[in-house]
Amino acid sequence: MNEQNRWERVSGDAGEAERIYRRSRTFLGDVWFRFTHKPTALFGFILVVLLLAFCLIGPVFTPYTYSEQNNKLASIPPLLKVYPGPAEGSNLYITQGLKLIEVDDEGHLIRQLKKKKDDSKAKQTSFTWDDDTLVYLDYSRLPNTVLDRDGNRIETAKTVWNRTYLLGTDQLGRDILTRLMYGTRISLMVAFIAALVNMIIGITYGGIAGYLGGRTDSVMMRIVDIISTIPLTLYVILIKMCLDDGLLSIIIALSSVYWVDMARVVRGEVLSLKNQEFVLAAKTIGSSTKTILFSHLIPNAMGPILVTVTMLIPSAIFMEAFMSFIGIGIAPPMASLGTMCNDATETLRTNPYQLFLPALVICIIMFAFNFVGDGLRDALDPKLKK
Amino acid sequence: MKENNTPMLQVQHLTKHFPAGSHKLVHAVDDVSFSIERGKTLGLVGESGCGKSSCARTVIRIYEPTSGKIFLDGADISALTQKQLLPFRRKMQMIFQDPYASLNARMTVHDIVAEPLRAHNICATRQEEHEMVREMLERVGLNQEHANRYAHEFSGGQRQRVGIARALILRPELVICDEPISALDVSIQAQVVNMLRHFQEELNLTYLFIAHDLSMVRYVSDDVGVMYLGQLVEKCAADEIYAHPLHPYTVGLLSSIPVPNPRLAKEKDGSGLEGDLPSPIDPPSGCRFHTRCPFATERCREEAPAWQEAAPGHFVACHRING
Repeated sequence: MNEQNRWERVSGDAGEAERIYRRSRTFLGDVWFRFTHKPTALFGFILVVLLLAFCLIGPVFTPYTYSEQNNKLASIPPLLKVYPGPAEGSNLYITQGLKLIEVDDEGHLIRQLKKKKDDSKAKQTSFTWDDDTLVYLDYSRLPNTVLDRDGNRIETAKTVWNRTYLLGTDQLGRDILTRLMYGTRISLMVAFIAALVNMIIGITYGGIAGYLGGRTDSVMMRIVDIISTIPLTLYVILIKMCLDDGLLSIIIALSSVYWVDMARVVRGEVLSLKNQEFVLAAKTIGSSTKTILFSHLIPNAMGPILVTVTMLIPSAIFMEAFMSFIGIGIAPPMASLGTMCNDATETLRTNPYQLFLPALVICIIMFAFNFVGDGLRDALDPKLKK
Repeated sequence: MKENNTPMLQVQHLTKHFPAGSHKLVHAVDDVSFSIERGKTLGLVGESGCGKSSCARTVIRIYEPTSGKIFLDGADISALTQKQLLPFRRKMQMIFQDPYASLNARMTVHDIVAEPLRAHNICATRQEEHEMVREMLERVGLNQEHANRYAHEFSGGQRQRVGIARALILRPELVICDEPISALDVSIQAQVVNMLRHFQEELNLTYLFIAHDLSMVRYVSDDVGVMYLGQLVEKCAADEIYAHPLHPYTVGLLSSIPVPNPRLAKEKDGSGLEGDLPSPIDPPSGCRFHTRCPFATERCREEAPAWQEAAPGHFVACHRING
């Protein structure tokens, strides 16, 4: 290229100047693209899908129900510490109640041995293995152990995973895995319904307050202020006390309180949007209030609304768990993550897994929804387009 | 076009006050009167915050006028409810200043341009609506491929043309242009202004053109009105105001137009405007310009000047002009 033609006009017609090179994508396609390109959001989304599969499809694959009790096999942990038994390939597990359970090498629970005689002086208990064999349990000093044929303490125990109850049983002998599935189902159901109801109430209330403005807005928002100055936990407990136990009353209690945050968010959004030029343009066009609210204001406020909803879901789950934990939630024998935690506190020292497992599920749910909410907030902002 | 002598828009003693805190009022528009003949353009100029946009928004009834009358094609629209206004909305439309804020980011260009058609139930079928939108988009230089895209994918100039398409699809008679070019860069400004002029000739539109760029106003306007702190201080034909400005504020405004030639710029006298616009909450007594006027006298401080015709068609409000 020489000096002369460096400033020459490049060829190209007028139509070329108007072309948009970026691929045309719908709004939802765009949101999906940005959402799936954020690792934490995608991770959270996969977790949510897994949780849904766990609580909806899971119960099909388990032979137990959430209420089936087996007192003989109460408080069996997922990881068993077993001693060799008299027969080849048999092992013995000592329960906290000083009973012996036969376990095979793979970890299946076979049977509970029948107690024959308790020698409280020697601190030994004999159990019938079969017609002519006895097994002795020695509890003279810790750790409790089984005696071999010669009457010596067997000090070496091996560990084997519980294959009959994968996550063990609780103190009433109910399968924890099955109860976790039902508990998650209850928690998610409470959360989704509460979130949906809150969304409807919050959007309507906040939308009206923000759009009308002025005195209406002041009065409506003072009501919200009054509701929110009372600690929500206390409020939910009070409502709950007036209603019967059960799922419905939890949902009512949560839905009637948590919408205040949503109302504030929507009101703020509508307030800032309604003076934007595109809303003024809709007014000069002569669009109806309905059109302005539902095709201009609400869609543009949808980002913060969805984020608030996904942030509200974990707090509703936590609230449900908390209420169940303090004993005013789901009525037994129905499982909920909160009631499971509550039941487990009594035997926390001996059976920590009973508390750990439902608490872990609560954590996973909270994590998943927080990640999804975070991802949605970024994905729903069309200006952050990549 | 039938012969019609009623002005397209007539504004009489229009006043708009906004409440600002306890017992205080922002005098955004104060006793403004003007009229625009059919097919003409009135340019409205003034500093930022002088009430140009408030005036436009009150005229188109986004804001409720505090007092005064607005006649659209002879009909008084200043006291109508929003419902009664609906048929009049077809006659007057607005083009907004910020092409980024005036288009809904959640709607496709097709939906944006079709919104006025839907609001007034103009198209019976989707087919018809589609056809009208396509035709309108083509007239502003956009094509079918653009219709399914979202506003944020467009450049500023393209967006503003979408705004023009939205305003003109109803075939209005009066279009209020609220600084339609001030958010665009210079090369695009000319494109948009020429498009507006072209539509004016073709559709016999009447424009109320608001701007703070005096050179652009001269190019598009038949008449020019100068606003200062909510009041009209001078109004006359566009060429006249540049040749014989009478109000000291107009003189100041004109001297603030940048001159491309630095040698000429040096020759200009130093009568540029000094100081800031006083607060419209508590406007100065008498002539509102007296705080910044180099010729202010005692009389200016006490007595508000009358709106008088200094020369045929040349109106001004200043004590120095004794008609």
